[in-house]
Amino acid sequence: MPAATDIMTPLWRGVVVLRVITAAFAIVAIIVYHDGFVRPGLGWAVLAGIAVWTVVICLAYSDDVTRRTSVVVIDLLVTLALMGSSALVLSPEQLTEVTQRTPLLTTVWASGPVVAAAVQGGRVAGALFGLAVSVVDIWLRGLFTIDLARDTLLLVGTGFVLGLAATAARRATEQLRRSARAEAATAERERLARSIHDSVVQVLARVRARGGQLDGEAGELARLAGEQEIALRCLFSAKAPDTTGEQDLAGALRLLAGPRVEVSVPATAVPLPAADVEELVAVAREALANTARHGGPGAKSWILVEDLGTEVALTIRDDGPGVDNGQLADAESAGRMGVSRSIRGRVADLGGTLTLGTGPGRGTEWEVRLARIQQDLLR
Amino acid sequence: MIRVMVVDDHPIWRAGVARDLVEQDFEVVATAADGAAALRIVPAVTPDVVLMDLHFASGGPSGAETTRRIIDTWPDIRVLVLSASGEHADVLAAVQAGASGYLMKSASVEELVTAVRRTAEGDAVFTAGLAGLLLGEYRRMALDPRTDSPRLTDRETEVLRQVATGCTARQIAEALGISHRTVENHVQATLRKLQLHNRVELTRYAIEHGLIDQ
Repeated sequence: MPAATDIMTPLWRGVVVLRVITAAFAIVAIIVYHDGFVRPGLGWAVLAGIAVWTVVICLAYSDDVTRRTSVVVIDLLVTLALMGSSALVLSPEQLTEVTQRTPLLTTVWASGPVVAAAVQGGRVAGALFGLAVSVVDIWLRGLFTIDLARDTLLLVGTGFVLGLAATAARRATEQLRRSARAEAATAERERLARSIHDSVVQVLARVRARGGQLDGEAGELARLAGEQEIALRCLFSAKAPDTTGEQDLAGALRLLAGPRVEVSVPATAVPLPAADVEELVAVAREALANTARHGGPGAKSWILVEDLGTEVALTIRDDGPGVDNGQLADAESAGRMGVSRSIRGRVADLGGTLTLGTGPGRGTEWEVRLARIQQDLLR
Repeated sequence: MIRVMVVDDHPIWRAGVARDLVEQDFEVVATAADGAAALRIVPAVTPDVVLMDLHFASGGPSGAETTRRIIDTWPDIRVLVLSASGEHADVLAAVQAGASGYLMKSASVEELVTAVRRTAEGDAVFTAGLAGLLLGEYRRMALDPRTDSPRLTDRETEVLRQVATGCTARQIAEALGISHRTVENHVQATLRKLQLHNRVELTRYAIEHGLIDQ
């Protein structure tokens, strides 16, 4: 994810800079308070440890391959260990008399893992790491004063707020990247659509319109040209699912248009979850296939999509001979109405309702209604 | 003889439609390659019917905008939109701007001829597609909290739904037990209401933004 890395790089650079500055602060503090230490030798060793770990961890955080959660956790453990060594190095007075302002050996340098965790894992990780460092501080001192409470608040608060910022930045970048991608795809499709519309489609339309009046093979060729014309026009007017996982039912159904199928849709998109759109298109296809099999040679079909806000209605009607209800029941019990059962099954799985209207000479009309459940919950 | 003007930016299509119409005893008084050209030519040739494409490669006013300007200036001229598929929003805009209806470019010559005749007589050409668009627009407006947008009566909704699923006026009249003429009236009313609303909205917008005096 190059784009997401790009936005996080400045934040990580900030983490590294803060680490180096706080390391310098910690080193100076060790030198200043060195005289009061009970184990001065170990004090120097901790100083060296802080310096070495700062170099190691800054290198790790500078490369997006090694910026991993495990590395941040190791950073916390090493930092806490160095912090914990204060118990052996500082004198009991230095340790307990916070009012004398003797810091632990690691002092503000211990905030490093907290900011790193916030940038890597977000607000919860940031706050938890802040809490971990504070708890160890309090435990080492063996007391809880207003100063330590303030440090705790600052550390936890910093981790939380920085984590929020990092997550927001990451989401914004992700969104930007998605919309840029969608925009590029749309622009490309429109470019193709324009050029095809201005050339191939016009000629096909002309061949179809002119040849449609001719008999025999010429008429057949014209009919084929017409099918391709409609297919091309529809192909470019259909839209891919958007980033929210929703798809335009109207656009998807328009692909079914043809010389014998007319599709009536609203001017605006009819968004539904992509899976529902797929099922509804499958229902429409089965109804059309049924008309093609039983509707006679000249039968036409119409598909109507209506967006009623809380629900979506899909109607598929043909002008075939239709069947009377008794016949339909007979056919269904005899297992010949496979299509009816299959459509019923699909609609039931979707949680929609199906109405079948038919009768001798009235054609057949399927009406599917599907409630927009998720939408309502979100509103 | 019905005087027709063809506005389309594709030369093969334009010439073909013009020839089809001439063969069917229409007088093609002019052709134009885009909206700007159409607006220049219309006053000189005063057609009865303008066949209007919606998009022009050369830019300038769109088919919908050209339709609006033609109807504003010459209310007697009828505009019939010939659209490619997938231009539904633009078709709706053109119809709201005053076009009498629309045909898909995939319509047959017979359908085109019938549509041009009916348009010249002043009737709206109601295809299933147009009914679907109008139905969609009314549904959209019904979900809009603003209350002054027009609504369909239950009967009008029923009629439009049947037109949108391919029923003929005769079939609808039979199914609903009303006369053929009443069905036609319902259908025309749905279009008139929408066009009127659009006109009122445009005027209100113009007043609110100081484009015209009150």
